[in-house]
Amino acid sequence: MGRDPGIIIVTRGFALSKSYIVFATFFAAMAILTANFGNAFLGGVPGNSGIDVGTSLSLLSVALTAIAAVTLTTSVILLYVYDKNNGVLEYFLSLGMNQGDIYKRYLKAGVILVSLLMIAVAVANVAVGLILRGDLTVPLEASALAAALSLSLVSFDTMAMMTFSSLQKPRAGANQPLGLALGGLLVVPAYLTPWTLPFVAVVVVDLAEAVVIAALAIALFVFSSKLISREKLLP
Amino acid sequence: MHTLELRNVNSGYDKKTVLHDVNLTIHEPSIYVVLGPNGAGKTTLFRTIAGILEPYSGEVVFDGENVTSSRDVRKRINYLSHYNAIPEEMTVYNALTFYANVQGGSAEEVLALLHLQELRDTKVSDLSQGQKKRVSVAKVFLRERDLYLMDEPTSNLDPGYSKEIRDILIKLSKDKIVLYSTHNLYEASDIGTNLILIKDGTIALADKIANIKLREYRVGIRTSTDISKIVDAKRVEQGYYVLSVSNPEEAGRILTKLIENGVLVTEMRQLENPLQELFETA
Repeated sequence: MGRDPGIIIVTRGFALSKSYIVFATFFAAMAILTANFGNAFLGGVPGNSGIDVGTSLSLLSVALTAIAAVTLTTSVILLYVYDKNNGVLEYFLSLGMNQGDIYKRYLKAGVILVSLLMIAVAVANVAVGLILRGDLTVPLEASALAAALSLSLVSFDTMAMMTFSSLQKPRAGANQPLGLALGGLLVVPAYLTPWTLPFVAVVVVDLAEAVVIAALAIALFVFSSKLISREKLLP
Repeated sequence: MHTLELRNVNSGYDKKTVLHDVNLTIHEPSIYVVLGPNGAGKTTLFRTIAGILEPYSGEVVFDGENVTSSRDVRKRINYLSHYNAIPEEMTVYNALTFYANVQGGSAEEVLALLHLQELRDTKVSDLSQGQKKRVSVAKVFLRERDLYLMDEPTSNLDPGYSKEIRDILIKLSKDKIVLYSTHNLYEASDIGTNLILIKDGTIALADKIANIKLREYRVGIRTSTDISKIVDAKRVEQGYYVLSVSNPEEAGRILTKLIENGVLVTEMRQLENPLQELFETA
């Protein structure tokens, strides 16, 4: 087998639950359609914020893509809880790993998944844009923004869920709704700003949010070993 | 030669202390049977020695290095938990390869060692509890280590497979330290040379099994004739004349006396396991 641990976790997560792939594909498809159809057919239609509706819809795809990313990486969180409950994490600890080493494996899997999704979304955006003969600039800018926001969001979500999963009493199944809720809550600004702010302001807000969330994810990762004792990884 | 030392160790979960001021030093390579009732602290002891739990105070030292702080020394310890810790969605071979990638070793070799080849391509989720246990034990033997912590390694296993695992550990114990917990007292007296008795999170006794003196030994003697007039055997249980003796030497003297009186002794055995009394008083 000899594969990268991150890839192994991705494969195992998919083997554990395929429904999240279906939901994530649905959200990603919605994001691609929103980005391109709005741009192709509603460009020039004036909206409330002074930018046209087509551009607002393209920017809305940032939030939809981020939701697709959070949904897709839920399988990684599920696997983390599953591994914790059947003693795999305990065995990792006994092999000399610490909390940070273990978190890194699952975080890497989440980042790999999001990266693959972002590449797929960008390629699909170009393909759909070419088919619809619309301007590719805004959908591609939205793809870049979505990548920044999704990567930081998923990193934070994954770290937060792993770090605080031991606080949830129903240990087996209740983690994914909280993870999705957390991810969904953090995406709210990306849903609202396309309808209320000018284009440049939306880009600045989304990027600023991505930077803040990434900083939180890094802080959680750095301090995870101090915040959470090893016993929290036991079944 | 390796040395394991626990110095004033207090350890537990969520600030609830399970092990209280535990001191223990092990120098000799051997199998140390860890006995104690449920909740006495056996698993907590193993997890603390393995470095999985960080002691609230005190330290666990293996060959002069602190287990909690030294990642390198933790890599020289093998720990078998109660939990199988085998990814159920994988085949047996892939699960063992998964761990071989993490800790080293060869999946093929441990499949052969524990005679698991016929289960090689079976999904772990399709295995019986006993088969899962064998795979779980197999992962511990992927790489040879200096200290083995085996928490009930033969639970759920039939006698044949239990013996197979005990034989591997007996072989390893010639130059490794093996701590072995079990509730099977016959297995304990069969495999162990040393005993560590845990009671309420403290080490109640740590000694060679041969040195352990019990209050009373019950000996059963099967003979062709009535021996109640020769020795103090007042009761008969399941065909055995039952005698109580204070030590094993006294049993030898009784046997000599019976033979001198022309009694044909067809069988003589200890009726209870010598560890039973210890276990019950723990």
